[in-house]
Amino acid sequence: MKGLLKSMATTLSTFARRPVTRQYPEGHKELPERDRAFPILLWDDHVDEPYCTGCHACERACPVECMTVLMKDNPNHESQGGDSRRRKIIDKFWIDYARCMRCNICVEVCNFEAIAMNNTWTGHELSVYDRSDLVMDLPQLLAQHRAGELDEWVADI
Amino acid sequence: MNTELFGFPTVNVWVDAVIRLHLIVGLMTVVVMGLIYIERKIIARFQMRLGPTRTGPLGLLQSLADALKLLGKEDLRPRNADPLIFEFAVYFVFVPVFMGFVAIPFAFDWNVRVLELGLFYVIAISSINVVGWVMAGWASDNRYAMIGALRAAAQGISYEVPLILAVLAVAMVAGSLNLNEITGQQGHIPYIVWQPLAFAIFYVAMLAELNRSPFDIPIGESEVVGGPFVEYSGIRWSMFFLAEYAGLFILCLLASAVFLGGWAWPLGEDAGVLWQIVLTSAKTGLLIFSVFWVRVTVPRMRIDQLMAFSWKVLMPLSFGLILANGLILVYEWPHVFLLIPNVIGLVLLYVIVEHGITRRRPRQLARPAAQAEAAS
Repeated sequence: MKGLLKSMATTLSTFARRPVTRQYPEGHKELPERDRAFPILLWDDHVDEPYCTGCHACERACPVECMTVLMKDNPNHESQGGDSRRRKIIDKFWIDYARCMRCNICVEVCNFEAIAMNNTWTGHELSVYDRSDLVMDLPQLLAQHRAGELDEWVADI
Repeated sequence: MNTELFGFPTVNVWVDAVIRLHLIVGLMTVVVMGLIYIERKIIARFQMRLGPTRTGPLGLLQSLADALKLLGKEDLRPRNADPLIFEFAVYFVFVPVFMGFVAIPFAFDWNVRVLELGLFYVIAISSINVVGWVMAGWASDNRYAMIGALRAAAQGISYEVPLILAVLAVAMVAGSLNLNEITGQQGHIPYIVWQPLAFAIFYVAMLAELNRSPFDIPIGESEVVGGPFVEYSGIRWSMFFLAEYAGLFILCLLASAVFLGGWAWPLGEDAGVLWQIVLTSAKTGLLIFSVFWVRVTVPRMRIDQLMAFSWKVLMPLSFGLILANGLILVYEWPHVFLLIPNVIGLVLLYVIVEHGITRRRPRQLARPAAQAEAAS
């Protein structure tokens, strides 16, 4: 009986508390700082080109082989009259988000800190009607950081 | 034959009856839909959720949407079911609940009919629905339904007795079975003050009668997947549901009229219909809220605990209460004396529940059964 009364008091106290529900599609929970969605490429604002040199390190390290990388000579290199110190630069880059298992290995192996795990809701809300729409190409991978939509720490690794 | 209706002196009796019945059924449907919405909202708040929010403003149209969906569903009947009994069982659950409303006083002189034996009538009519439950379980030709129905019958009949005895204790003090008169006598002090034990017994028995948690054994999803209603769908199932909530409403109305002073306490007979209806609905609402509150708090009991609690605890207590009441009323001792058996009974109830919950079952009792099971 004592326990009964105590439990009644407990439930009443929860009744007085504010609901914890979030109305998801309208409002979003704030993501934790280290939240890990899919990998994206970062944009070097100083010389206005991607950080990525297309070195294939991430492609080789990827355990699920979701990446395809093509490299080219950098047309913006100092020897060509440009202002970049990168001899080689990324030409084409695809990541199959349907395959990626978000293991973070590509970020670990990258020598140029050119790739990072997305920590925004855009990285999670990726529902599509066709599976092939989940294969992201270079402009898609770069767009978010280029527009400055990433949380700070990702770019500052 | 003519009668009076809403101030019109000459209305044909049959027209009068039809109008009154339609009023009840209309009111009940709206009230039940409101109750379902309110229950979902309140229970959601108890669990720190929001409850329905999407259908209409604040989710107010949720019940309506559910009702429409249920009406649109196919009315299935299993091939092995007994067609006539299967289809009529619904009405045996549904109709008595609505008939109970005839005698319930909402305000001074505001019932469908003032019955001299109103209390007796309501209690009698509300116990018929057990028949409907058993019919549903039997006709479904389904083991779960049958077990659920038998449980419902056992529970319904067991708890009917303390329920009636508790109300009877009040009726003895009031000296009447007319609900309007019982309520009217409580202008200054409601009967819960003189008969707290009767109220406690009534409340527990009411939860059991309504098959509400912690006594929802007949419909316990984890054991009998919905009890007698397993095979029902669409409109028939929704009628069972309607009857359940209507029953909740009517028993809470009855409790507020008999124990909490209904429309009379604390304003008296001259307060005006509006205030009296506000009072009645406030008290009823409080009781209904407490029923929801108990539902979210207390886990389901076992069937043997349930039966034991009725026959070994509530029944002797209510008989003792009636005996003591009789003594005090026959010798015309002052009303304060009524409190003595009530307080003793409440203490006893507390001690018994405390003892029963914390008691450990002796090991020796459990062992032979387990060995026999292992041997076989």
